[in-house]
Amino acid sequence: MRRYETIFIIDPDLSAEKREPVLERVKDVIAQQGGYLAFIDDWGTRKLAYEIKKKERGYYLRFDFCGTGAVVDEIERFFRIDDRVLKYMTVLLDKNADIEKIKEEVAAAESKAKKAEEPAEPAAAQTPEEQTKPSEIETPEEQTKPSEIETPEDQAKPSETETPEEQTKPSEIETPEDQAKPSETETPEDQAKASEIEAPEGQAKPSETETPEDQAKPSEIETPEKQAQIPETQPPEPEVNEADTTPTETEEEIK
Amino acid sequence: MAPNAHHANRKPKRKKRIYHRRKVCRFCADTSMAINYKDPKALKYFLTERGKIIPRRISGSCAKHQRQLTHAIKRARTIALLPYVGSVELN
Repeated sequence: MRRYETIFIIDPDLSAEKREPVLERVKDVIAQQGGYLAFIDDWGTRKLAYEIKKKERGYYLRFDFCGTGAVVDEIERFFRIDDRVLKYMTVLLDKNADIEKIKEEVAAAESKAKKAEEPAEPAAAQTPEEQTKPSEIETPEEQTKPSEIETPEDQAKPSETETPEEQTKPSEIETPEDQAKPSETETPEDQAKASEIEAPEGQAKPSETETPEDQAKPSEIETPEKQAQIPETQPPEPEVNEADTTPTETEEEIK
Repeated sequence: MAPNAHHANRKPKRKKRIYHRRKVCRFCADTSMAINYKDPKALKYFLTERGKIIPRRISGSCAKHQRQLTHAIKRARTIALLPYVGSVELN
């Protein structure tokens, strides 16, 4: 038995119900030809890198299965005939796959999925949908939400006890900076000034809206880190630029 | 005489002294990085803006990993995860 992986792109304009027969057909073919279907990965609708049949997007599916070449032949024959499938690609993963091991793998994955979603108990095929889609959509939301959520919390809390903490903590952090820098030479003066300018910002912000320890602390602690990081990060960047620019130069030369 | 001659010899040599930074294969340096054609974001680093595969002499990858990379990139192109030509913004 060989282990294959077939990725195929279905027309994104099809509804979920119309998409289902395609999957069913592929599953049937695998079963008919004596194959074993291990996993179905649902990537959902993605943007294509180039247009296929005038479509900008495609619905990606990945089938992980075992079988002989006959299974692949039959599946690909079906994909070629069916115009709901925009494109397909089969990759050989393992020439001598051990079915028992793969079945164990599948069982392990299923038990994991069940543990993860015990209350909902959806089918195994549906879980990947839910896992993949939210990851694409949620990330921007998560980035925006925290800022929205933090402010109300902070506005509520600071009235209680946070204001004194803010006054004490900055003083603790500032002193080491001042002690460390003057010991070197005159240059620290500029850095010390900067630290003085930055510190009031941290204090000014809380006074306006009483935002927060959380925002005040990072602003003060990050600045020394940033000063340290900038010299470190800069040298590697030119490398990347060289790598990016040189190919274009060579292209021009060739032309 | 001797120092002058030495000095004269040195000048022409010095004119084309390009600074070479020792490049290290990223996949050898970090063995946890896997080359996978299903991960177009990672592969994109090894493509030019036009979608060409960046040669080994520039990217610094070793022969083994460059081979795997090319293979992965070509597979990704086949299934429209990466462009054959032109740029694509990956979301």
